[in-house]
Amino acid sequence: MPETRTDDVHPPYLYPDYKSTRLRAPSQPLVRVSPSPLEATGPAFPRQFVKDSEADLTTWGRSAPLGEKMILVGRVLDEDGRPVRRSLVEVWQANASGRYPHPVDDHDAPLDPNFLGKGQVLTDDDGRYRIVTIKPGAYPWQNLGSAYAQRLITQMFFPGDPLLAIDPIFQSVPEAGRKRLIAELDLEHGIEGVALGYRWDMVLRGPRATPMGV
Amino acid sequence: MTKPTPSQTVGPFFARELLWKDGGTVLFPGRGERITLTGYLFDGAGAPIYDALFETWQADPAGQFPKGDDGARPYGYGRVSTDPGGRYAIETVMPGSFKGPGGETYAPQISVAIFARGLLRALHTRVFLAPLEVVKDDPLARAIGDPERLRTLIAIRDPRDPRIYRWDVRLRGAGEAVFIEL
Ligand SMILES: [Fe+3]
Repeated sequence: MPETRTDDVHPPYLYPDYKSTRLRAPSQPLVRVSPSPLEATGPAFPRQFVKDSEADLTTWGRSAPLGEKMILVGRVLDEDGRPVRRSLVEVWQANASGRYPHPVDDHDAPLDPNFLGKGQVLTDDDGRYRIVTIKPGAYPWQNLGSAYAQRLITQMFFPGDPLLAIDPIFQSVPEAGRKRLIAELDLEHGIEGVALGYRWDMVLRGPRATPMGV
Repeated sequence: MTKPTPSQTVGPFFARELLWKDGGTVLFPGRGERITLTGYLFDGAGAPIYDALFETWQADPAGQFPKGDDGARPYGYGRVSTDPGGRYAIETVMPGSFKGPGGETYAPQISVAIFARGLLRALHTRVFLAPLEVVKDDPLARAIGDPERLRTLIAIRDPRDPRIYRWDVRLRGAGEAVFIEL
């Protein structure tokens, strides 16, 4: 099984309780490489890449999607707590019934014509983002920092969710990292009577060492 | 130091059509030799992997890393997903070789990240677009050592169509590709 860094908060590749890892986790150790410009640099997203409307997942249809509206705010930070500016934050989620609009999701839950479940936003100069959406079942996120090595796909979970204790994907994360996956209730950023506010910061790991001169 | 946010799987589903418009065409400011990198992703049982996210980042033909965009999309970056047969394809330009921070020379290559259901963290690697003789002194090639393992990262130029580079990726088992720790 590939080794992981000792300070690792990331799950292992092979986690047999999550059955899909058994045929997809590499069996050979990862090769450690010296940092190269390939991982220290990364794509630059123009402001126009993201429309303001893409930060609101509830306005795509003819009427409001089903479910409980929520507002999520947070910051994208590096390991030293510095903001990651103009980081592309993408969200991809199931609708209120737990269904994704994907051709192979054939599970017996209704599609919602007013909800596509996809949004994106670029962080501002303080690394801040804000997303308006509805509360789903599960919640994958993608994040592209300023260096390609920071590329992260993760998931946000809700505080007090009793299913976390038995969710193998959540449980695959080492104890030290689990707290980071859970958002906090944030009443200040909600809209009374309309939407609950949540706060969730993402911390991106840098490359092991940043090469000079790139 | 703050603890980073842990990685999680991209799964179970994401819609190909929503993910990235024209993500399979990598943009660059200048001209270059147009090539297509294409192949199949396979799991440990040899079955094709559908709906994996396949991402690339690379230097331009002069070996420079693109800093800009065309006003709508960033340069140098590709994102596609695999089809039901496990196939991906990226249209791009041939990257040049480039120097590392210590002056070492990197062979023409593309950085690849693979995300899929069943991958709790991304698999990172680099695919070489040059034959073994050219690649053997690359820093990653040296770190791998074993030529058999190195071969798993060398794309094969199609003898009938030299614009096509074929690279199949086996995630686990016989012929398993080399993946790197960042
Ligand atoms: Fe690691």
